[in-house]
Formats: sequence, C-alpha cells, structure tokens
Amino acid sequence: MNKAPKIVLLLVGLAILTTLPIFLSPNLVNAVIKMMIAALFALAFTLAMGQAGMLSFGHAAYYGVGAFAALHLMRAVEMKLFFFPTPLIPLAGAAIGFLVGIVFGWLATQRIGVYFAMVTLALAELLFTLAPTWNSVFGGESGISTMRAPSWGLSFGHDIHVYYLTLAWFVISAWCMWAFTKTPLGRLALALRDNEHRARFLGFNTHVARTLIFAISCLFTGVAGALLAIANEATNYTIFSAQASANVVLQTFIGGAGTFFGPALGAATMTFFARVTSDLTRSWLLYQGLIFVLVMLFAPEGLGGIVSLHARKLRAAGLRHLVLPYLLCFVVALLLIAGVVFAVESIHVVMTDAYFAKRIAAKGAWVPYQLFGRSFEPLWPGTWAIPIALLSTGALLLPMARRLTASAWLVAIQESLPVAGAAAEATTRQEATA
Amino acid sequence: MSSRAKSTAALSSTPRGAPSDSVLELRGLTKSFGETQIIRGVDLTVKRYQRHGLIGPNGAGKSTLFNLISGQYVPTSGEIRLNGEPIAGLSPHVINRRGLSRSFQITNVFPRMSVAENLRTSIMGRHGHRLTVFRPVRSLKSVNDEVDEFIEKLRLGRRRNDLAGDLAYSEQRILEMGMSLATDPAVLILDEPTAGMSREEARYIVELIRQVTEERTLLVVEHDMSVVFTLCDQVSVLVYGVIIASGEPATVRADKKVQEAYLGEEVL
Repeated sequence: MNKAPKIVLLLVGLAILTTLPIFLSPNLVNAVIKMMIAALFALAFTLAMGQAGMLSFGHAAYYGVGAFAALHLMRAVEMKLFFFPTPLIPLAGAAIGFLVGIVFGWLATQRIGVYFAMVTLALAELLFTLAPTWNSVFGGESGISTMRAPSWGLSFGHDIHVYYLTLAWFVISAWCMWAFTKTPLGRLALALRDNEHRARFLGFNTHVARTLIFAISCLFTGVAGALLAIANEATNYTIFSAQASANVVLQTFIGGAGTFFGPALGAATMTFFARVTSDLTRSWLLYQGLIFVLVMLFAPEGLGGIVSLHARKLRAAGLRHLVLPYLLCFVVALLLIAGVVFAVESIHVVMTDAYFAKRIAAKGAWVPYQLFGRSFEPLWPGTWAIPIALLSTGALLLPMARRLTASAWLVAIQESLPVAGAAAEATTRQEATA
Repeated sequence: MSSRAKSTAALSSTPRGAPSDSVLELRGLTKSFGETQIIRGVDLTVKRYQRHGLIGPNGAGKSTLFNLISGQYVPTSGEIRLNGEPIAGLSPHVINRRGLSRSFQITNVFPRMSVAENLRTSIMGRHGHRLTVFRPVRSLKSVNDEVDEFIEKLRLGRRRNDLAGDLAYSEQRILEMGMSLATDPAVLILDEPTAGMSREEARYIVELIRQVTEERTLLVVEHDMSVVFTLCDQVSVLVYGVIIASGEPATVRADKKVQEAYLGEEVL
C-alpha cells in the first residue's frame, strides 16, 4: 500500500490530538488523558501478545510497578531530597518496568502458551497480595499519593499540562514500539510467534530473546503506569488486580491484536465507553462484556482489523457502494441496542432494593418504575412491547442488512480490483526497469 | 560471509590428518525413553565434505539420531563430536552456532512471514543481529544482500514476498532447507528432503542439494534409495538403533547383512 496516505492520516491524527484540549471541557480533557494512557498500555501489551505471541494475563504488574516507581520519585522531589523534572518522571516507570519485566519474564518465558499465561497471572497476583501488607513501598491498603512538582516553567497544576505531557510520551513511546517491529529483534518476535522451535535450530537462544521482548513490553507498560500516576497523583494496590490485567486483554482483543494501532483504538474506545456509561448505568460492565462477545463472534480481527480490511481491499471509489448498506446496518444496530438497553435497564431497576422497598410500601403491588425520565408499568404488556418491537424489527432487518452489505462488498471490491491490479503491474514494471 | 571465513580459518589451523578429517563423530551413542532403548550404541564417522546417507527401515531410530545430534534430545550415554569438540547435550542454538544445522522432516518454516523474511531471520543471527534493537533490518546491507543471494540460489525469486505458509509443499521444503543452509553450517543434516514429493520435484531438489552443499559436509536421512545412491558418496545403515554397515554405496549395497535386514531384492 502507498505510504503517503498513512503519513497524512498520522499527521491529521496528531494535529487533532494537539489542538483537542482547546475545545474540550476539563472533564473531557481528563478523559482523553486516560484514553491515551490506556492506549499506550494496550500497545505495550500487544508488543508481547501480538508480536511475539505471549499472552500475558498479568500485565497489571508492570503497569503497577511503573505507577509506584513514578509516585516514589515524585515524593522524593516533593520532600526536596533532590530535583527531578516532572516531564521525565515516566523514565522511572520505564526503568522499573524493564527490570521487573526481566525478572518476571525470565521465569514466565520458560513456558509457552497457556502455561506462560498462568505464570504471568500468578506473578501479578503475588504483587496484588503482597502490596497491601507492604506499607513502606506500596503504602498499605490506602496506597500512596503526592503532588506534581512544577518544572521547566510549567506548574503541572492544570490538566492541560498533564495532557501535553501524556501526549508527548504517548507519541514517543508509540513511535518507539512501531520502530521496534522493524528491528532484528522485532522481526524475531514474529518468528517466535510463528514457530519458536524452528528459531532455536537457527541459532537463536529463544529464552533470552523472549525475555528481552517481554521486558521491552513491560518497559512501555511501566511508562503507561507512570503516566497514570502523574495524572492521578495517587495509586494503591488495586492497580495490580486481575481485573486490571484482564481489562487490557479485553481492550486489545476488541481493538484487534493483528494490527499495530488496533489495540490503541480498542483501548481508547473502551476507556471512553467505560467513562461515559459508568456514570449512566450500573450495568455498564454487562454492556462491555456484550461488546467483547460480539466482537469476538462477528469480527474476531477487532476494530483495527475492520479498518485495515477496508484500507487494504477497497479504494475510495469503492466505498460509495457501502454507504447505504452501512447506514442500514447502523439503523439495525441502533434498534437492537435500544431493545437490549431498555430490557436490561428495566430489569435492573425492578431488581434494585429501592424498588423493592417501594413495593413493600405499596403492599407488594408492582408499582410503576422510572426509566429515561419516564414512568413505566412493569406488568402492563405495552411496556414490554417496546423492547420486543425494537428487537424484532432489528432482527427482521438484520438478514437484509447483511445481504446488502455482502453484495455491496462484492461490487466495491470488483471496482477496486482492476485499478489495484494495474498499480501492482506498474510497480513490477518499475522494479524490472530499475 | 564472516563466519564462513572463520570456519575456514579454524579448519586450516587443525593439522591435516585422520582426526581433523572427521567432522562429525558419534561414539557409543545411546538414547533410552524410559525402558525402551531406541539408539543402542551408535558409532558413526562423517568426513569433511562427505555426502553421507543414513538409511534404515521405519522405526530404526533415524529421526531420534538426528534429534540427538542437533540438540533436541540429550543422549543417555556416549559422545558426539563436531570438529573434535563434544556437543552432546548442548542446546540446539549452541550447536547451530558451532556450525551444524538441520532441516526437519515436516515443513518447519515461519508460515506468516514472507520468504525473504524467513531467510533474513536465518541469516541475521550470523551477522551478530540476534537481539539488535537500535537498527532497522532495512539498514543491514550485508544481511539483505545475502538474502537476495540465497533467494536466487534457491530459485525462489518469484515467491520472494509471498508468505511462506502460502507456498507449494515442495517450495516450502526448499525454503526450509534454505533456512538451515542460511545459517552457514559446516555440517548440514537433512531429514528426508524428498519425502512427499513427486519424482520430478525430488529430482529437482536433489540437484539443488548437490549444488548448495558444495564444500559442505552433508548427512542425509532418505527413504528413496535412488536418491541416496545418486547423491551420497558414503552410506550407513541403521537398524534397531545400531549401525550395521557403513561404506561406499556399492559396498553397502552388496553387504549380506544389509540385504537381509532392510533392502530386499526388489530395491536392489
């Protein structure tokens, strides 16, 4: 594929990220900071997972030590033990992440596949149980907190300063990780994912190589953890939880580990999703789980896979055939989502203690419940007709949407093919003459 | 090719004579899996630049012997010497760096990497780029030049950018052998290089093996007798974990024990 559009796309993305805080409320600036940190974490995780095939279930360990290392350094600066510029604090996360990654990685990479995953999980759990009892390092159950020190003429008292600090580290780290995939060790990572056994017979000490690749992944994970510590100015032992480790796995798979930027996309999207929905409903984890299941079932390549499929197979001219079918798919999706959300939220409200208390007050009667600012009768069939109507309309339209999309794809690909073929021919001819 | 130069230098520093002439030597080698002894005292000498064929009926222990030599298994007892140095029980990657490379009976490539990348991975280690992280592969000129050289030598030019997993079976076998060769070994050991191929393909790959193993020592396990007798200048016969005969093809062919144990009239 041509390189120029990719670079343009990257520059546009960078320009958007640079100017974004001007238009956003402080709350949203903070949300984007968290999205960038999650994206960086997912990219670092994918370095081990997608590149070298090492599925780690304990990456929160390196995220956590990065955060604690940053906080301890910030505390030392705060206590005036020595000066260290705030923008360089993530270096502490990187160093500790790498060191812990070497030690834990050396142990975990003795094994591959499921056994590797189990060892990483166990090592992270070790930290999770150790941290609340080890007061001097992890601050016990309450954790440790500190303040960002002003440096380089910036106060770091505003989210905007933290935003640009995070953005800079995100861009530098992402570039480093992308460049890593082009180095001999980065290429070896792919070889190890494909066939570790063969690599050993080509003279590679695969254990050393896997440890190093794992530790590099942990290095950038440590940077992400440090950025989180800088943004929050505090952390505690829950950062090591299995939930945190699982989160990055889910986000990476939703984003698609097969592409470089897919995991970042997935992590940013899901972080934003969590932030928005967790304020609105207590069922947000259920919705997150549903999204994961749906992506795994119908688009196992993830969001990144979908994007790259369109970029690889289609040219701009082909895309216009897809506008209408995709619009229909969008409507179908909206209907289904609305149906599911209505049902889930209704059930959720009726199951709450608050509603139960109302029923007791009304002597066991099914009193109306409040949802979306309206009142609904739980026993009136009309109430349940709403989700049923939404879901069945969606389900009825679904086969049509799929058929239309499939046929539109055929047309779109056909329209893209001859041109692409000609372009390939042109390059071969160019090569032949050169 | 720096290591090639190195191995030639090492070669000339050892005095010419009987011991330096044997590149690979097995002495009293045994391997047991639990109660079962698969290799029961193998003595074998492979001389420099020999093309040595190893034949034997199914279950004779040929693949086990290869796995012992290449470091996949640790011998129960006995000695393996490569250029006079003991290598028994060393890790596969150490043995490879000492100058012995193997191919596999099953196709064993990196299926989701291109042909060029498969070869580059095999080549870059020798140039000191096993764990390099501060340079892109694109800038490693000597490595990339050698990749081109190998692709030409293996006649895989048209397939250069195709994924190895998408190649035809015989092409995958050629690539696999090419990868073993790309580590520039003094001794190359091939496990049934023509297995599963048509006559035509087999003839092609045998010719290729002959070309690419000039000035190298070759040990090859092969089922196809015509391949063994046209390619090899020395043949050893392994039956139930022991070598029952070793010598020039004509001598081995005439050996009574060999005829009884393995070859049978219709083959000869």
